[in-house]
Order: sequence, then structure tokens, then C-alpha cells
Amino acid sequence: MKEAMPSSAMPVNIVVAHPLEAKALIPMFGLQPTQNTSGYVQYNCANGLQLIVSGVGRSAVSAAVKFLAKQQANEDNQVRGWVNIGIAGHRNAALGSGWLANRITDRAAGTRAYPPQLIDGIAACSVVTVDEPELVYPEDAVYEMEASAFYGEASRHSTAELVQLFKVVSDNLQNPISDLDLKRVPMWIAQQEEQIVSLVQRLSELVNLHNASHAMPTAYHDLCSQLHLTVSQKLQLKRLCQRYKALGREAELGGFVATAVGSKKLIATLVAQIDEPMNTQ
Amino acid sequence: MFSTIYIEEEVLELPRVKELLARYSHIPQVICERYGEVFNRKSQNFRLQKKSPALILAKKYGNKVLSAPQGYGYNDSKSYYFSHMLNCVYDCRYCFLQGMYSSANYVLFVNFEDFEAALADKIAENDGGGVYYSGYDCDSLALEPVSNFCKKFVPLFVNYPHAELEIRTKSTQVRCLLEQDVVSNCVIAMSFTTSEAASRWEHKVPSVEKRIEALHKLQLAGWRVAIRFEPLILGSDGIAAYEALFDQLFSRLDVDKIHSVSSGLFRMPVDFHKRIVKLYPDEELFARATEIDEGMISLKNDDEAAQLAAIETLLFKSISPQQYYRCA
Repeated sequence: MKEAMPSSAMPVNIVVAHPLEAKALIPMFGLQPTQNTSGYVQYNCANGLQLIVSGVGRSAVSAAVKFLAKQQANEDNQVRGWVNIGIAGHRNAALGSGWLANRITDRAAGTRAYPPQLIDGIAACSVVTVDEPELVYPEDAVYEMEASAFYGEASRHSTAELVQLFKVVSDNLQNPISDLDLKRVPMWIAQQEEQIVSLVQRLSELVNLHNASHAMPTAYHDLCSQLHLTVSQKLQLKRLCQRYKALGREAELGGFVATAVGSKKLIATLVAQIDEPMNTQ
Repeated sequence: MFSTIYIEEEVLELPRVKELLARYSHIPQVICERYGEVFNRKSQNFRLQKKSPALILAKKYGNKVLSAPQGYGYNDSKSYYFSHMLNCVYDCRYCFLQGMYSSANYVLFVNFEDFEAALADKIAENDGGGVYYSGYDCDSLALEPVSNFCKKFVPLFVNYPHAELEIRTKSTQVRCLLEQDVVSNCVIAMSFTTSEAASRWEHKVPSVEKRIEALHKLQLAGWRVAIRFEPLILGSDGIAAYEALFDQLFSRLDVDKIHSVSSGLFRMPVDFHKRIVKLYPDEELFARATEIDEGMISLKNDDEAAQLAAIETLLFKSISPQQYYRCA
């Protein structure tokens, strides 16, 4: 494992289409294979980073994102970042050059999406998702086969700002896809280590910031496990616990954990106590 | 300054756009068909986007000059607002825009000439009169170096002496005004909260001192200025904080020449509040007790009337009641 990797939390999912795209990322992030029966090849790291090999094409990537999101589902509004890393073609960009997607066009569906650009310092360009490998590259864009489906599906499980795509050029007009030597893929991706690590780190910072602000007090979980709550009561309790925390009164919730006997009464008491007239200095 | 500039295909060839893109050629530029493809989409997060907003150059269709919400203005004249921009460069935690849009990107409508024509029509409809507010969906001055909005629109009102233009702002970017002739029917209205509230909730906003200084310069140059105490967040700051703010303001400005002073309590549509709570579940301001009246949410405060009266009593030590109004 590389020592340069920070130990801070990296709640990010990396999705690649092909095992060769994963090959350079595994040592880059110190990933370990996970044992599972899902059929997907998956890797993870103690800092929370996960990688899944989806298979090639829109349906495959969509299914893999859906699978991973289900595996990671939680009730705490805790989100994860999503990054699709993979090879792509461009008419004149250098082999091995890396690009962050700032516009995704799905050629078959005719749809467009614009991943919010919160990560600066990485060259960005337009991405076109196609069903078959592109040979003439008509637009000033990188051509690949998963982006639109990845972005659409991952945005359902996170917020769009935390879904990013990084494409590494593997073919161009001078080096057509028919001559593509797949063995060079890990090398091209490894060459982009600085950009990829920076992308994942900065995405992690945003995710951590978001999740910290949405983290629920421990008492909320204790109360949920202790009481029978309807869906509506759970939502009420959740907001009440958030309010106690925001008002600097989180410690008071601990007292309710010890004494709560009924959900209805608990909620009424929490409301009454928090909505008491404020002191006005 | 901006993470990216998105440009609608339709406005690409406008000279105003070409000039802007040339000036900011170092910022990544992305072409889109309509600004709605980028702005206010589902699954966007205003709070995250605020960390690195993009600029969207777009064309405004439909009504450009709209009736102002009831109680927004200072007299009985018909009031309208127009927004050449959506969203604000500042990050005030109490701002309703956070709940109105799911995107924090700035949309700059660049078809100024269409706004100009719409204003002319509306003014004609009102026999040359009416009050026209700019700064409802944005801060009118804060992005002036990029937009040149005031440079274009303020002089227009010379042609409409019976109409009035109010530029609402928290910006100190007044150079564009100081460099042009005074337009007597244009009012520069600066918003203030107490220094305590400003440092707590008004992020990226010029300090109270700098805002007062900007108003002072405008007054000296002959511009009419107004003061907006909005939002009053009672129960947070003691009366002493307002006393300090009023002393600071009215000792620096020529009080007799102040066009108007208004106050408005913290309130917003319930739906906006709900969305903001989702963005900022950890914000103390939104964790306070609230009450709802006719779809509007405000902070619950049993002493509100007494506190407001005390603030107004203080205020009337410096200004005349005729200069003052409460914003609904």
C-alpha cells in the first residue's frame, strides 16, 4: 500500500468498466479485493473508498451503480461521491491525457447533462456517450460508452456535485481504436495519478463536509431502536434531533433516551421543550 | 471568480457576450442550449454549489418586468421588479434564494435591450410613473464589473422622470455610479443587519463599515440613498446592537437627504424554508421555533411587537417617521 495516501475518510465510489482500468487504481489507492457473491469485482479500502468493475456499456454501468448504491443505503442522509474513470477516444488529444467531464451527451437518446464543476485545476471537456466505438470523432469531445448512464444513475443516489467523470484518452485519429493495445491502459491511468488522486481527495472533502452537516445525533439512533415509530414520527424525531443539535442542546437528548417510553409522548415533550420562548439576551 | 461559464447557444454571438468571454477566456466555457439544462435541475445542491458557482449567460424570455410582491415598496405607486440576474454572489444564511433555487450558479440575462423595451412599455402603461426595483432575485451591484448592468440601466431613467428606479444591494461596488451623472429618480438602497448578525450570517458581504462608507460617497456625489434594515432577526440581537448600528449609520450620513428607511422581519414562503432546512439542518437560525401565517414562515417571538416598537423608537431618534416604512 502506498504511504502517500491520506488516512482521512474517502466516502467515494470509483466505477470502472474494465478490469484493466482498475489495475492502476488498485495500488494508487491501496485497494483490497472484497469477498462477495454479487458477481461484481469489487475493491475497498479502510478509509471508505470503494471500486467496482461494472462491465462495458450503459446498461452494465447503470446496473453496477444501482447495485452499489443499494449495498450502501442508509437512513442518515449520508451520501457518497461517485467517480467514473475510464478510457475514451478524442480526435486529437494526446494518448494518456486526462479530462474531467463538463458536459455529457448521450448520442442515442439525444440528452445532455452538465456535471457541476466544483473541482478546479483539472482540464475539462465534453463527453459523448456512444453505443459503438467512435472512429471519426466529429466533435471536440471525448467518446466513450458509459458516461451518460453513469451520471444519470449515480445522480439518483447522491447530489450531482458529487458525481464526476474522468476520462483518459486511449485512441485518436492518429492512433485508431483498432490499434488499441489494452496493455497500455493501466499505464495511461497510472500517468494520471496526480489528477485522479486530487479529484478523489477533493470530492471526499466535499462529501465529508456535506455528511458532517447532516450527521444525526447518537441519541436519534438510540431512540429509533428503542421505540416503535411510524414513518411520520421518525421524520419528526429526526428533525427535532437536528434542531436540538443545531441549537447546541444535543446533550439534552441523552436524557430522553433513558426515560422515553412512548413515541407520541416523547415527540410532544421534545417539541414543547424546544419551542419554549427564547431568551432575548 | 467562476468555476465555469455556461453560454446559451442563442446568445453566443451577442457583442456583450463575446466581450465577456474574451475577458474571461481563462475560465472554462461550455455551450448549452438553454440555461435550464444547467440551472435548477433536480439533484443539485445549493450549499455545495455555493462553494464554486458558475456563471450562466442566457436570454430571458417571457415577462421581464413583474409586479412587486405586496408591501415590498415604500409608497402607493404601482411597483414592479425586474431581474437581469438570478442568484447573488453573497452567501447570506437567511436569504430566501437558497430555498427558491436548487442551484447557486449565477444566471446573467444578457438581452439587456429586451429588458429596456419591457421597462419602456411598463412605464408607458403607468403614464410614465411607477417604481421599478432591481435586486429582488440578485444583488444589483455586486456583479457590476462583469455585468455592466447599472452602467446601462441607470441612465435610462433620465428619460422617465416620473418613474423611480431602486437598486437594492449590499455591495460597495459603487464606482460605476460615481463615474456617471447623478440620476435623480434612482435610489441606491443598501441593506443592513446589525454587525453581530452580519458577521454571523452574511458571508462574503462587505462589512457594515464599508457599506456605510459606500453610501456616504454616493451621498456626497449627489445620489439618493435609502436604508433597508432587512431582515430584522429579533430575539437574536439585543436592542443595543441596533442602537450601535443606527449611531454608526446616521452619524456618517446626511439624514435629511436619506430617501427612505425601511425594516422587514425575517420571513419566507414555507416551501423555501423547508428546502433550506434540508440544506442546512445544522444551522441554528433554522432550528428556532417558527410560526406560519398564510403560507409564510417567520420566527416565533412572543415579544416581537414590543421589540419592533423599541427598535422603531430608537430609529425615530435619528430619522423622521415620514422617512420610514415597514416592509410587509
